[in-house]
Amino acid sequence: MDPSEINNFEEEWKKAFQGASETPPPSVWEGIEARLDEGKDKILPLWWQSPRLWYAAASVAALLFVGVGLWYANDNKQIESAGENKIAIQKPAEQKEIPSNPEIANSTTDKPSRDGVNENNGAASAEQNDAGSSAIASVTTKKDKLRSVRSQRPSVVKGESLAGYSKEKGLDTNNSKVAKELQTASPVSPSVPESVVAIAEPAKELTTTAEMLASLPYRNLDVHVQKRYVFFRPQTQIEEPVAPPKHKEYWAALGLMPASFNPDLKVKEAPMAFSAQNVSNKKSVSGSSESGISYALQTQGGMRLSKHWSVEMGVSYLKGNSNYQGGGYVLNAYNSAAANVLENALAGLSSADASPADKMNNFNNGALYIDVDKKVSNNYHYLQLPVQAGFTINPDKRLSYSLLGGMMANFFLSNELESASGEIIRTSASDDIYRGMNWAATTGLRFNYRLSSKWNANLTGSYQKAVSSGFKSNQSLESHPYLYGVSWGVRYSF
Amino acid sequence: MTFNEQELVKGCKQRNRIAQKQLYDVFGGKLFAICLRYTKNRADAEDVLQDAFIKIYENIDSFRNDSPLEYWLRSVVVNTALNHLRQQKHLKELDDIDIHHNGIADKEFTLGNFQMQQLLELIHELPPGCQTIFNLYAIEGYQHNEIAQKLGISEGTSKSQYSRARSLLQQKLNKEKRFDDGSVRNKQF
Repeated sequence: MDPSEINNFEEEWKKAFQGASETPPPSVWEGIEARLDEGKDKILPLWWQSPRLWYAAASVAALLFVGVGLWYANDNKQIESAGENKIAIQKPAEQKEIPSNPEIANSTTDKPSRDGVNENNGAASAEQNDAGSSAIASVTTKKDKLRSVRSQRPSVVKGESLAGYSKEKGLDTNNSKVAKELQTASPVSPSVPESVVAIAEPAKELTTTAEMLASLPYRNLDVHVQKRYVFFRPQTQIEEPVAPPKHKEYWAALGLMPASFNPDLKVKEAPMAFSAQNVSNKKSVSGSSESGISYALQTQGGMRLSKHWSVEMGVSYLKGNSNYQGGGYVLNAYNSAAANVLENALAGLSSADASPADKMNNFNNGALYIDVDKKVSNNYHYLQLPVQAGFTINPDKRLSYSLLGGMMANFFLSNELESASGEIIRTSASDDIYRGMNWAATTGLRFNYRLSSKWNANLTGSYQKAVSSGFKSNQSLESHPYLYGVSWGVRYSF
Repeated sequence: MTFNEQELVKGCKQRNRIAQKQLYDVFGGKLFAICLRYTKNRADAEDVLQDAFIKIYENIDSFRNDSPLEYWLRSVVVNTALNHLRQQKHLKELDDIDIHHNGIADKEFTLGNFQMQQLLELIHELPPGCQTIFNLYAIEGYQHNEIAQKLGISEGTSKSQYSRARSLLQQKLNKEKRFDDGSVRNKQF
């Protein structure tokens, strides 16, 4: 007999049913569902004990503080707490069952006789494996031994089954022991020598069974006694897809935003030097701003509040370049001093700096208005502090989209205006012409691409619009800067 | 079918009905096939499957991902089936039997021409004890000492019952005459 084929019978059957599948009728699932629903009506609301809900409330309050309405809902947390309660109830109940079983006592008394049987059987099985060599002799001895086993039956069988049963009941404590015994027994059990391939297979099986034995507590579960544990499951949970429960996440981001910045600067009334003549009076208010190529350097910190909602803050430096066209300029016929309309208007506003005021005086007498459509550069520097709320679509996918909205505090740093003579007139926050801080509304759409679990790349299109004038109130100049930009950045999640 | 096993388990731990249904959809067919092997008819197999899934959902919290999910599910189903058989007192009458049929040289033994349904019918025709032990030993791969422990019988009983099952199946297969001549040779000693 070829030893490699001794397990052919089992192997064939195993192969025949390996991966066997038969679709159960729909009534089975309906039955399962009905049984799962049985305990649902008797519900105690335990979810309010979850501290996470209180964090959520705190987050909502914080968001209201910055003027952004935010709804925060995180239902999964409630489920978790309910699930934990269930385990807590279940464990003691299972433990109680074991000592209450009166059959355990029998196991010790029956052990000697049981061992006797096993020895005999062990001997018999050893003989069985050598069966090929001396057939008749082994049959006789085997039968004798089996008979001797059977002669002990009346006293043994009952005790044995009880012992076996009680041992099974007590497996919670003996689990590891049994598993170990099996593992140590595994190299011994196939006593018939086999080829390399054939040996590998049973060894694999033994590992499998040891794994199955590792989950022995389930053998103790009795079908007769069904326990129902009540857990809370909110109605909305049914519709919700499987989602990771943990949403808290912090990130830091860096970005560079090329932008189109327009200060939307308007001269409301003709400056002093222009107001003397009818033409200049009209023409001086006709100029307009043009967007220039600008950029912003952005740093950001954010926090994910729930699956979809997040809040972020940042510090950015904005260099806003623009041009002002039109309005003409005035020329002093005596000293050839010239001033364009913005220059002259700024000079009119200035109270602290003497030089623009002096310039203004140059045009009090004999100024000529020259109507030239000249373009002058008008650049700004701002420090921006945005606070935005974000709603993310597809938060757990590789590519997600966030809708952003919020407010931005723009701190005026300086303005550089090109004068008629080509000089740059620099106005800083201390000159008291521009507002030190100006509010702007901001909105945007961000594409976020996950590079790794920590790193993301993002592309954000944003629009910012100042809600109040950049100049101090009640002045002849008005500015409501706005900006379109596309920001490229990376984000690191903690 | 593509599914994330860990996500599925997590969903079931949260008692998410969609995840529970998905688990049922993914594994229900395979587990039902196991139930069919241990029981005598479809109605009983359906009962066992239903009980098994209730146990699975109620005890999913103790599944720790250290072994494959399918092994765990299979062991729950097998144990549920054994409980079912105990309940129906099918395993009470198990005893040693005289037939000791271990000398079959199953060289070239093959089930190649048989459909699963036919084999299932052959298994159903076995006496209940033989059927259970055959399933546990030949298909599930338990050793006789483990089977003895599971069923509360002696190792010898397990062996002799298995021999009987094997012998009966050989006879039935011979009767079917679906396989090549000489593919099964019974050498008794």
